[in-house]
Amino acid sequence: MPNTFFGWIGFLLEKYGGMFLSGAANTLLIAVVGTVAGFIIGLLVAIVRTIQLKRDAGGLKRAALGAAKLLLNAYIEVFRGTPMIVQAMVVYYGASQYLGLNLPAMTAAFLVVSINTGAYMAEIVRGGILSVDAGQKEAAIAVGMTHWQGMTGVILPQAIRNILPSVGNEFVVNIKDSSVLNVISVTEVFFMSKSAAGTYYRYFEVFFITSVIYFILTFTFTRLLRLVEKKLSGSASYTVYGSQSSYQAEIEVKRDPEGEA
Amino acid sequence: MAEILHVTGLYKRFGGNEVLSGIDLSVGAGEVVCVIGPSGSGKSTFLRCINLLEEPSGGQILFKGQDVMKMPASLLHARVGMVFQQFNLFNNMTALDNCVAGQRRVLRRSREESVRKAMFYLERVGMLPYRDARPAQLSGGQKQRAAIARALCMDPEVLLFDEPTSALDPEMVDEVLSVIRTLKDGGLTMMIVTHEMAFARDAADRVVFMDAGKVVEDAPPSKLFVKPENPRTQAFLARTMRG
Repeated sequence: MPNTFFGWIGFLLEKYGGMFLSGAANTLLIAVVGTVAGFIIGLLVAIVRTIQLKRDAGGLKRAALGAAKLLLNAYIEVFRGTPMIVQAMVVYYGASQYLGLNLPAMTAAFLVVSINTGAYMAEIVRGGILSVDAGQKEAAIAVGMTHWQGMTGVILPQAIRNILPSVGNEFVVNIKDSSVLNVISVTEVFFMSKSAAGTYYRYFEVFFITSVIYFILTFTFTRLLRLVEKKLSGSASYTVYGSQSSYQAEIEVKRDPEGEA
Repeated sequence: MAEILHVTGLYKRFGGNEVLSGIDLSVGAGEVVCVIGPSGSGKSTFLRCINLLEEPSGGQILFKGQDVMKMPASLLHARVGMVFQQFNLFNNMTALDNCVAGQRRVLRRSREESVRKAMFYLERVGMLPYRDARPAQLSGGQKQRAAIARALCMDPEVLLFDEPTSALDPEMVDEVLSVIRTLKDGGLTMMIVTHEMAFARDAADRVVFMDAGKVVEDAPPSKLFVKPENPRTQAFLARTMRG
């Protein structure tokens, strides 16, 4: 048996390296799936919550939209208002006891993290939409776009750029908080560490390795997100074709407009 | 002259505040109507009611005989274009894409056709060299000219201008007004809310003076500016034409 700190680290890495790696991979997978799915949920919820009916809209339409908005609000409040660790227990054991569904642990993990993140994202996206000048929406309406077209083509692209830092935050939170899923035996990196630590009773050394893994995961992804943010800001310069007095000389289209259209 | 817009008894209330108190107006094809009046007289609200950016509280607006409240919204907006005081170009798109987006999404035109049309109108407003610029990279006058091109790309039958030069520096006002003049020469029907009296006087076929939510006087500029009948019009013109 090793008798120094670094000796133990080396020993544990050699013996449990595969477990740490597969745990880290699962953690990352849960965080990516949960954040992406949560983001999409957040966008959809925000699109529905911003629908405004015309004054002459029928009573049925009005009631349906009202009910949908009420449900979405309830969803946001419930999932923001209870801990994810409890949600995991309720979903996992609820599915097996009352629906007869024995969810694989990873499936339950994707489900819980996505739905939980979606509730936060819905509010983040709402904030992003509020940050976009109201004139943008009016202009979209004025050229004839529908609510969906205006949202997806004009408002959300601008809102998303504004909320990217918060979305990155959610991602980092998900990498770390997915550790609570060990209570339903999801084999993420915390669960793996607990098993590894138990064998030799080397809790400090194992969780030292675990913390390094978490930090590498979060740090790498915050840097990546910065790059994405920079890219979304668009280029700082543009081409002026010809001079202002003789631009007729130049009528070639330099880039494909499909990107935005 | 065929009638394009016919407004009768238009009311608009914001809460308990009545902004439009029964407006009647008719606009014929090819006519250029300038709407003038003091701030808070309801000019902008009137314009915004016509393409339903504000929902009227009462009255009727007919576009070529059709009740606009019963028209599909995107059809109405494609045929009644709007140019805003604050330009409202889509900030996430280049000038060219601003002109293309509506054609593609609303009119379902092909990319080639949309781009061709966008280039045509961008050239007409002198913005072709700046087609790859984003709104943040353009001056106010350039933004407004691009916004006019965007509206023209939808082939509107009426174009509404909501104080198109009020947010511009004085030296940029003329470049926008001269674009509007070329549109008049092209025969486009326009309603223009403006504070530019000189422009209204020489570009409008008719000038409408509004005050306190009502049309007070409606006459050709040669008459309204020279011999206004209503005392309120006289007072307003005396105040604004002094400078």
